[in-house]
Amino acid sequence: MVTLDVRPQLLDALSALRDRVAAARFPLPLAGAPRARANRDELLAQLDDYLVPRLREPEAPLLAVIGGSTGAGKSTLVNSLVGRRVSEAGVLRPTTRTPVLVCHPEDHHWFSGMRVLPDLTRVWMPQQDVDDDPLLPGEEDMRVLRIETADTLPRGLALLDAPDIDSLVAGNRVLAAELMCAADIWVMVTTAARYADAVPWHLLRTAKDHDATLVTVLDRVPHQVVSEVSRQFGALLAKAGLGDVPRFTVPELPESAWGGGLLPATAVAPLRAWLAQQAQDPGARHQVMARTAYGALDSLKSRMPELASAAAAQYAAALRLTAAVDGAYDSEYTRLRGRLQAGAVLAGGALKRWRSYPLDSSAGELLDALVESLAALLLCAVTAADERVDEAWRREPAAGAPGLTDRDPTLESAEHRIGMAVRRWRRVLEEYAEDEVRALEKSVAPDPEAVAALVATALLGGRRARSAGEGLAERIGAHGALRLRDKGGRLLTDYLDKALHDERERRLAPLDALDVHPEPQAELIAALSVLQKER
Amino acid sequence: MTAVTAVTDHTDHADQPGDDDARKKDPGGEIVRKERSGREAGHKEKGDSGRGAREATEAGSGGGTGSGSGSADSVGSADAVGSADAPGGWDDGLIARRVSATAEGQARPVQETVMDNRPPAVAPLAYDGPLRSRLDALRELVGLSRTRLDSRTLAEAGQVLDEAAARRRLSGQHTVVAIAGATGSGKSQLFNALAGVAISETGVRRPTTAAPIACSWSDGAAGLIDRLGIPGRLRRRPLQSAEAEAQLRGLVLVDLPDHDSAAVQHREHVDRILALVDAVIWVVDPEKYADAVLHERYLRPMAGHAEVTFVVLNQVDRLPRDAADQVLDDLRRLLDEDGIALGEYGEPGATVLALSALTGDGIGELREVLGHFVAERGAAARRISADVDAAAVRLWPVYANRRQAGLSEEARDEFADRLADAVGATAAGEAAERAWRRNANRACGTPWLRLWRWYQDRREPATGRLSVRAYDDEEATARQRVEQAVRTVAEQASDGLPAPWAQAVREAAVRGSQGLCEALDELAVRAGTPVGRPPRPGWWPAAVLAQAAMTVLQVVGGLWLLAQIIGLMSPNLGVPVLLMVIGIVGGPGVEWACRLAANGPARRYGAEAERRLREAASGCGRARVLDPVAGELLRYREVREQFLRVSGVTGGTGVTGVTGVTGVTGVGASAG
Repeated sequence: MVTLDVRPQLLDALSALRDRVAAARFPLPLAGAPRARANRDELLAQLDDYLVPRLREPEAPLLAVIGGSTGAGKSTLVNSLVGRRVSEAGVLRPTTRTPVLVCHPEDHHWFSGMRVLPDLTRVWMPQQDVDDDPLLPGEEDMRVLRIETADTLPRGLALLDAPDIDSLVAGNRVLAAELMCAADIWVMVTTAARYADAVPWHLLRTAKDHDATLVTVLDRVPHQVVSEVSRQFGALLAKAGLGDVPRFTVPELPESAWGGGLLPATAVAPLRAWLAQQAQDPGARHQVMARTAYGALDSLKSRMPELASAAAAQYAAALRLTAAVDGAYDSEYTRLRGRLQAGAVLAGGALKRWRSYPLDSSAGELLDALVESLAALLLCAVTAADERVDEAWRREPAAGAPGLTDRDPTLESAEHRIGMAVRRWRRVLEEYAEDEVRALEKSVAPDPEAVAALVATALLGGRRARSAGEGLAERIGAHGALRLRDKGGRLLTDYLDKALHDERERRLAPLDALDVHPEPQAELIAALSVLQKER
Repeated sequence: MTAVTAVTDHTDHADQPGDDDARKKDPGGEIVRKERSGREAGHKEKGDSGRGAREATEAGSGGGTGSGSGSADSVGSADAVGSADAPGGWDDGLIARRVSATAEGQARPVQETVMDNRPPAVAPLAYDGPLRSRLDALRELVGLSRTRLDSRTLAEAGQVLDEAAARRRLSGQHTVVAIAGATGSGKSQLFNALAGVAISETGVRRPTTAAPIACSWSDGAAGLIDRLGIPGRLRRRPLQSAEAEAQLRGLVLVDLPDHDSAAVQHREHVDRILALVDAVIWVVDPEKYADAVLHERYLRPMAGHAEVTFVVLNQVDRLPRDAADQVLDDLRRLLDEDGIALGEYGEPGATVLALSALTGDGIGELREVLGHFVAERGAAARRISADVDAAAVRLWPVYANRRQAGLSEEARDEFADRLADAVGATAAGEAAERAWRRNANRACGTPWLRLWRWYQDRREPATGRLSVRAYDDEEATARQRVEQAVRTVAEQASDGLPAPWAQAVREAAVRGSQGLCEALDELAVRAGTPVGRPPRPGWWPAAVLAQAAMTVLQVVGGLWLLAQIIGLMSPNLGVPVLLMVIGIVGGPGVEWACRLAANGPARRYGAEAERRLREAASGCGRARVLDPVAGELLRYREVREQFLRVSGVTGGTGVTGVTGVTGVTGVGASAG
């Protein structure tokens, strides 16, 4: 027989694991991401609501969660087990929207605190709240748990009436799942009309996966067909490998169904006796707890790697996105360098100015045209890179994350930023030229602006601006010209690198903001292996 | 009162090695193969009147006892189970079903169907004018879009067309109505109640009906039933009675398996047949009417089919009277939330009824409604029409533009400007203007000034003039500017277009821009360089003459003074000084006047040079880029018109029928 003893190391390992799970994020919309997110939430719920509190305080009462499809009669069953109406039953579906926890008055302190289900706000004034809840839209976010006490229940046992698992109200489904995660005993309620429905069977299979202590209740069985349906259901269970699960059958009685009345005590007596026995017999109680707890621990073995691989997929997708950006910008940068070498800046308007310089255009005009042309070249490179990135990202599902692709208004500012950078380059270049000219010991000093224009032409014009270099040498001497060209060239490279780098960073910023790292994967696995060692 | 039957049987559950496999399979599909010995007591109240028919059903199991299990159909289910759940997303091993899994079903805009003014179809099945034209438009739309959209997007439209064509070939006298619902809702019971015979097996075993069964009230429906893929052994006739026959004449009723049990093959049957029938009766019961599967998987996606939908709340006998009304109201509310128009107060929409197939309560009403419905014979056309609507809504994102699409005049001008920038038209114009003025000044300037300028030129290194030669092989056009111009204009033209068409426009622009730079280079050489010397205005010789005269005056005055100083002539200061002064003042004066006079022609000359280059460039750009783009936009407009026709909105009269669709006016012929 398995024993359930509390060891601090195990608890430490478990809390560490819990923190890792809580820290895992799946921001990129990959195919597996919604599932990973749901998995993470469920795992977290199970750790927070069940595993950690249970291992910490094994003496706490057993919690039996009554779950099942809408209209299966869960609330009626709970009411009948307790012996009075604690949970609203009715004909409209879904009936139960607020979960109700029923326990013995002396067990009340176990549940009034935030020991289990810390996400749910406790409510003690049931009647008002039930009425208000559906009406006030503001309260929908605040999830509540009603706690009722009844001394008809044995000590050490608490019942929880959960919302339906297949409700149209999506919030109900999530809440029901969370509540099931907190259970020591899963009580699955189904009916004669529903026992072959697909949805409850998924829940049953999940219970089997987690090796939770499971009970099934076949509710609302017309008395003529009790044996028939019961046998069918048993066969289905056996087929699913759940043949040893205790089964209870509750017949359909006039008062049971649609009026929301209580079933006679005899109808639910066997279930009640079974539950009471589990709660009061120390051996049985221990077994129930240990089975569910260790089942949950065991299920971590398969669920944690799943989470880890989802985290790894996230990181891989982020890497792919980054690589696409880097590749696009790198290749555009190479192209840009090539075009610069070839003198692509000295084309169009700039070329016309250069040809008519100095007769028909001034040095200032030439410089203006060159700077404008350089800005156009840079902008073209950046837009082309962005276009490539868009193209590559269109094939990536991960690029659909909000904020990654919708950046329409920034195009204008890219033009603006590049214009600023290029103008700054021009100003520094003019300063260099002035310095050079001032250092010259010539009687007739050449015009600094002309010198700057010639340097710019020589730098940007490539082969076709050879004469600019010659003219420069004539004006400020070969050494000075060489020096000035070197300085200007370095300056140009710096500014281009910086401009492109800035744009690339700007493009990657939203992706970086998502904070997708390789660490979570390793951390999850590491936390799991620590836990395995502690067991 | 029945005693409690608490069965706590611990059967010998051997640890199966293949547990994991068993888990993946659906138990429901396999259990039906189990031989059942007992005969269901259930709610079956009809006698053995349909016995002969049932024997045919049970040919597979060979039992004439009425306990057959339809094994022939369910054997295959075990195999098909593993993967079939994937599209629904309910078999992912999670406890909770998240909203996101079904969100796409809800986000779809609901479209109003346009069919009130359509006369009911007459036999043989012929679609009325509007529907026919919509189908034609859809066919054309699919044909036009094949090159632009992937086949997956068009698959649904193609299927609608196929089904419409297939249905059209078949009987128009009949209306095929399917009875669908969850397991245990009483579909088969309702089927039997309508037929008046226990045709379809009912029982407590879940799921009961494994294969669809058809029942035809009149002859000639064989083709229709063939289309549903229902084999001959599953076809029945109702109880022969003249009255019932007259009422439901032309009805073909199909009893479907459930859609929500663990037997996946049943769901496949349902999905397949629901796409083919003319109308659907959804049977729900008080226990299951709010099931998420029903609403999210079926009712919401089929909200547009409200007119061919009946929703029937069965088993009201299990409810107290007022509770039944309450549940019915709640059901109506849920249907309303699903977006299904309810046919109340004479409006077209779904019919919602409460009945009990067990007690026969409300069956008469359903029969009556069904009788009217069948007698109208409009269901098939309405269904196809609703299908077309649904396809149009589905295709909406790939055809509808968010705002007015097309190339505005400003965008064209901007493109031309950018191209002119790329070839340097402005700079060239200015250079030409200045060169002209320079020439004029040189010609009209005083000789002394020219002398000084010549000296200046000699002193300064003549950088510019060296480069003037030999640049025919250069890339005179700024490549980056052309690239940017094409990108911008493509962006502007495709703005607001749905993605595939925007892509096509962009591609057209990029394709057109190949070779544009080279063409512009060539053009700049041809149009940019002035032919020969710049032309001179008519007053030119006069100006030169005047300038020469001034110089002559200066020289004459100077010589005269010189002669006086030497003593060759009598001293007379007045006249020579006057002459010299006139010459000295007049020379610059003439030059100044010439410069003023040259301003106009110079500017004209420069503007002419700029205009020539600019026009050549923009002509080149229009031919290579703008025209293909406009052509692509035109093609989009054609497709859009077809789409509007499919949506049921006639192209010319307005576009109010489909929400958010705006007219296309700016798509257009190139500005000549």
